[in-house]
Amino acid sequence: MGGAVPNPSSALPAVIALNRLAFGPRPADLEAGSSQPDRPDHRDWLARWLDRQLSPNDTDDPEVERHLAAAKLRIRYPAGDGWEAVDEDRPLACLGQPIESLWSLAANRPAVAGPERQRPRLEVAAATLIRAVHSHWQLREVLVDFWHNHFNVNAAGEPAVAAALPVYDRDVIRRHALGNFRAFLEAVATSSAMQVYLNNRSSRAGSANENYARELFELHTLGSGAYLNALYNRWRDVPGAVRGTPDGYIDQDVYEAARAFTGWTLEDGAGLGGDAKLPVTGRFTYVEGWHDGYQKRVLGREFDPFQSPMADGHRVLDLVADHPATARHVCTALCRRLVADDPPAGLVALAARVWTENRSKPDQIARVVRAIALSADFAGIRDAKVKRPLELVASFARGAGIDLVPTNPLLGELDGSGQRLFGWPAPTGHPDRMEAWLGAAAMRRRWGLLLGLAENRWETGAIDLAARFPAPLPAAAAVDRWQGILQDGQPEAATTAAILSGMGLAADVLLAPGTKAGDDRLRRVAAFVAMAPRFNQR
Amino acid sequence: MTISRRSMMRGGLAAGLGLAGCGLTGLPGIRSLAFAADASAGVGAEAPAGTLVVVFLRGGADMLALVAPADDPDYHAARTPDLRVMAEGQKAGIRLEQTLAPALDFRLHPDAAPLADLYAGRQLAIVHAVGLTDGTRSHFVAQDLMERGIAREEDLARTGSGWVARWLGEEGRGEGEPGRVPAIGTASAPAAALAGMGGALAVPDLRGGLAPPGGPQAAAVLAALYRQGDGSYERTARAALDGLTTVDGRLPREAGGKVAAYDAEGGAVYEETEAGRALQTVARVLKMDIGLRAACVDVGGWDTHENQQGRFANAVGQLSRAIAAFHADTQRYDRDLTMVVMSEFGRRLRGNRSQGTDHGHGGAMMVLGGRVAGGRLLGRWPGLASHQLDRGVDLAVTTDYRTVLSELIGPPAARSFPGFQGAPLGVLRG
Repeated sequence: MGGAVPNPSSALPAVIALNRLAFGPRPADLEAGSSQPDRPDHRDWLARWLDRQLSPNDTDDPEVERHLAAAKLRIRYPAGDGWEAVDEDRPLACLGQPIESLWSLAANRPAVAGPERQRPRLEVAAATLIRAVHSHWQLREVLVDFWHNHFNVNAAGEPAVAAALPVYDRDVIRRHALGNFRAFLEAVATSSAMQVYLNNRSSRAGSANENYARELFELHTLGSGAYLNALYNRWRDVPGAVRGTPDGYIDQDVYEAARAFTGWTLEDGAGLGGDAKLPVTGRFTYVEGWHDGYQKRVLGREFDPFQSPMADGHRVLDLVADHPATARHVCTALCRRLVADDPPAGLVALAARVWTENRSKPDQIARVVRAIALSADFAGIRDAKVKRPLELVASFARGAGIDLVPTNPLLGELDGSGQRLFGWPAPTGHPDRMEAWLGAAAMRRRWGLLLGLAENRWETGAIDLAARFPAPLPAAAAVDRWQGILQDGQPEAATTAAILSGMGLAADVLLAPGTKAGDDRLRRVAAFVAMAPRFNQR
Repeated sequence: MTISRRSMMRGGLAAGLGLAGCGLTGLPGIRSLAFAADASAGVGAEAPAGTLVVVFLRGGADMLALVAPADDPDYHAARTPDLRVMAEGQKAGIRLEQTLAPALDFRLHPDAAPLADLYAGRQLAIVHAVGLTDGTRSHFVAQDLMERGIAREEDLARTGSGWVARWLGEEGRGEGEPGRVPAIGTASAPAAALAGMGGALAVPDLRGGLAPPGGPQAAAVLAALYRQGDGSYERTARAALDGLTTVDGRLPREAGGKVAAYDAEGGAVYEETEAGRALQTVARVLKMDIGLRAACVDVGGWDTHENQQGRFANAVGQLSRAIAAFHADTQRYDRDLTMVVMSEFGRRLRGNRSQGTDHGHGGAMMVLGGRVAGGRLLGRWPGLASHQLDRGVDLAVTTDYRTVLSELIGPPAARSFPGFQGAPLGVLRG
């Protein structure tokens, strides 16, 4: 399934770049590019596009603002013990809230109806769809999706994670998606969402909870490739460890790091001894009394006992952020997202070099992304990824010109497709390899998503057919035109033949837009073109 | 009766391959046929365990809270009562007759009462202190190793296919046979143990039917779109369409076309839980008589680092009731059906201060079915004193997980678990 096929041409069609660095092209992106002297298949075009995209201007995203302000999701539940019945279309009211305002959704008392507890996840998912389809700042949206999976939390599980999700999305993931990894790591470590999800909030000196520390090493930073526990039992046996530069980590590093993070917790009302309790705000806090202050050793470095508050944890974050295995691991994941399931080693090495050289820069991540996007491998590899359902939905809406409005049924369909946004249970995040998305039932859901969007089954917005099909045209020409709109370049004859034969249409039968029969067929053709292998790969 | 036909079909396939393999040695007797099946990788051979349902408990199930020596002082010392199977009191565990460690009082978690019944009825055997010999405590490395049927991390890079795919001799096949579904997974993503097997079908749920959306026209377009093409996308889509159509065509429907509610046998009631839904799907496909030989079922929720007591009790209760329902529903398959329950590792003997347990090493496997020599605890109990623990902290692994799986699948184990040799424990009756 590697499928990374080098292309002899160095020219990179914009459609390919925009399927990887954006949620697919809009027809206008392609037309605007090709009518100008700097054609979109030139490296210069991509470099300029990257310059703009890597310095996003939040005050300039009018379509997103319009959609976020107008969006409403249904919420309904019967009266229960402590609440009235609710049945209303409600704006995305959680999104701008601070954690203190949302944290009541996490508490056991007072009682809150289940749909209220799930509401923040649905709102962030709806906003994610809006941004994926409508944002100017497409590259940031792609990276936000990447980092949400890299630093995965499951907001479909514990209500407290759901309550913390809007803040996590806004102040942690979005704020740092193009920034500095070390700063990002600390924002994640101190986020309410991660504190709950990987249980660090309940970790205490004595027998620390290892959940966060383990996944910090294995998933967030050094990666399982640097987990050498099967080879070495003692820290000093790890090559390089006695010099303070171990090749990797073992369980002893996990144990010690877990101790370093004891006391990092949340204001969740937990008892402090006697009658004292933490306040109930959901905000991060540090409790010195819960911290294991004795000396530690992490990655071959000695930590003296009784450091200042949070210094042990900060030092662990410094060590893991700076480790060469982290550069390799995170850059492999970035290249896997942006280029190919099995990215070439040379590309990963290039990205890791840029990563390391810029590790103290505030735009470290942006620089790495730029290097990947302008690399020869990025231009040379084709069709090495299968679009995940979110990409499939967003790229279809963008290509077909649907002014997409998220609705509860669409979010439900996306959940059923295998990509329940912010609801993946394991800390790995959604898988990023082709095979994970091609289960039989999952494929069926992909087809259903495309057909449902094309036919506006979930009131997500109609395809503007009149703009693309001003006059009646032969069926074969209609299929070809949809191919041109959705995937640029020459239409594939086999796809046209397959769709016509499957629909039982002669090539020259006229499809008349504006009539019910004509419109029905033109919409279906759009969905069928998007079901062809070409649209599903990038 | 469906069983005889399935058995005949498999026997026929085995014979066909056996003959090919035995051309060299002349007349094939029973012995040489068996050897040939082994040497030619036993494609289609009848597995000792019949159709195999592999239930994987994701997250590292705390088997020391499921089946444990309730009176062991080392166990008491390491765990607070909320993390223990208790010997007495209101929440006392259910005593198991056993010879694994006769001096100890092994008990099953009280919410696993349905499993205790199956154990007492000699349908269920439990292998303890079993797992990976590799030292990993990573969920994802451990799951990867087990699903690919290997035990060393350096073998991961050269082992792309899953052990079930290799067992069935179907790894590397682009597509399955039309009308036949030899294996299913009940997760949305294809099961890793089935990786490389084109005819395996990932079907979480059958209740809405599996026909392509958009009616016959869309189905015709999809068939035409994927008719040719050698890319993995096309091949996978073609196999998916075949499999979906096969299964959908066998789902009974009401007059209006809606998929009829499943009518379980034996008074079985499947709950609306992950385990309940998945095992109901397996039973339903099994009874379609489309050649099902393996099913991979995932059940999550076992990574109990925090507040384990309630979460674990719920998970054990849901799992136990789902297994009991499946067992009742599939009684007529008797010796032709076996279930094995496993997890990537057990958890730390000592609890943490979040009222949970962290990643450990040795765990337990459960095997259920008409061929199982049940009512026994198997393996070798290593003890829970510090010097008996793996790296001083975790239940040691005294039985390689592949020992159990090898016995269930017979000679093709040589292909599923390359380089592994282990004497069978006698999980199955002779």
